[in-house]
Amino acid sequence: MNTNTIRVTLNGTEVSGHPGMTILELAQENEIDIPTLCHYPGLPPIGACRICVVEVEGSRTLVASCHTPIAPDMVIHTHSPKVLEARKVIVELLLASHPEACLVCDKGNLCELRKIAADLEIGLPRFKVKKRYYPLDDLSPYIIRDLTKCILCQRCVRACREIKKANLFAVAYRGFHSKVVVDQDQPLDKQACQSCDVCISLCPVGALAKRDGENASQETEATMSRVSGFGTEGVV
Amino acid sequence: MAGKTLQKITAKHKKGRNLVSLLKEVQDEYGYLPAQVMTEVADSLDIPVGEVYGTGTFYSFFSTQPLGKNIIRVCKSVPCYLADNQSVITEIQKQLGIKPGETTDDGEFSLQLTNCIGACDKAPAMMINDTVYSELTSAKISEILSNYR
Repeated sequence: MNTNTIRVTLNGTEVSGHPGMTILELAQENEIDIPTLCHYPGLPPIGACRICVVEVEGSRTLVASCHTPIAPDMVIHTHSPKVLEARKVIVELLLASHPEACLVCDKGNLCELRKIAADLEIGLPRFKVKKRYYPLDDLSPYIIRDLTKCILCQRCVRACREIKKANLFAVAYRGFHSKVVVDQDQPLDKQACQSCDVCISLCPVGALAKRDGENASQETEATMSRVSGFGTEGVV
Repeated sequence: MAGKTLQKITAKHKKGRNLVSLLKEVQDEYGYLPAQVMTEVADSLDIPVGEVYGTGTFYSFFSTQPLGKNIIRVCKSVPCYLADNQSVITEIQKQLGIKPGETTDDGEFSLQLTNCIGACDKAPAMMINDTVYSELTSAKISEILSNYR
C-alpha cells in the first residue's frame, strides 16, 4: 500500500516511515518512549494535552507528535532539554487545577497523570491556582462523573462517538471553564447510556468511575473520614 | 416555540452546516439561544445537542440567557486587561448595579465580558450593541452610558 518511504532523522539516527504516519507512531516503531495522555490508539488524535510534544528543527514551536505527520527530511528530537522542560511544565499546569487528593482517589496508582508526573519527577506544586469544583454527577445507574478531576483529554468524548457511536458527550464553555457536558450540561441519567463502560476504562484519571456499586464512593467517604483532620489539601 | 422562523433558518443552513452562522441568526431572532431552540437546531441538523450547546457556550457573543435591550461587552483579553479594563468594569458595575453576566431589573442593560474584539491598539475597549468604544477610562463611562438611557 505504502510504496513511498519517508526518511527522517529521529534523535540523531536516520529512520524511515511511510506517508501518513505520525511522529509518535514512528517513535514507537523505533522503541522511543514518548509520554501521551489524550492520545489513545484507535481514537482520532486531537493534540489536546500537549504532553507528547517534540522538537522539529525549523518549526517555530514544539509540535504534538500524536497528530503531526512525518515529512521528508524532518529532524526530530523527542527528548531534548527544551522538550523535557516543556513537558514538565505542561504536566505541572495540568496538576495545578487538578485536586491534590491522590491518596484518597479511587484511581490510585492506575492514574496515568500521576504516573507521568512521577516519571517526569514532578514534586510539590509550583503553580497555586484556584481549583475548578463541580458537584459529583452520580445520577446515572452506570457511571459516576467527578468532573473536578477531569483533565479535558476528551478520550470519553471520542470513545463514545467513535467506538460506541452514542455521542453523548461534548465539550462546552471556554478556557478555564471548559467542561465535558451531556446535552445542555445536564446530568448523565438518561437511557441513552447503556453501560458499555468504554469511557470509564479509557479515562486516564479518576473522573469517570463505575457505579458498581455504591461502594466506590462510600469507600472514598470512609477513607476521607479516616484521614479527616489531615484533610485533602496539600496531599500529593 | 420554534415556529416558521427557526425552520427557515435551519433549512438555509442544512447543507453548509455552518453552525456558528446559524446560531448567530437564531440569536438575532430570539435575542439569545433558548434551550428548546438549541435542541430543535440539533435535531434538524442531525447532530448531538451537546455540539450545539458546546458551540453556543464557547463564543462570548452568544448567550444562553435572555439579554437586556443594550448589551455591553467589555473586552477581557490580555491587552485590555493590561490596560486596566478592571476600572472600566468596576465603573459600569457601580453605575448600573449589576455584575458581569447580569441584566438590570428594567431590562435596559446586560453587562458581559467578552474575548478580543480587535481593538487591542486602543485598549481597553468595549462594545455596546454594535458600536465599539475604545481607550476607555472610568471617567468616560457615564457619558457613554447616558447615550443609551
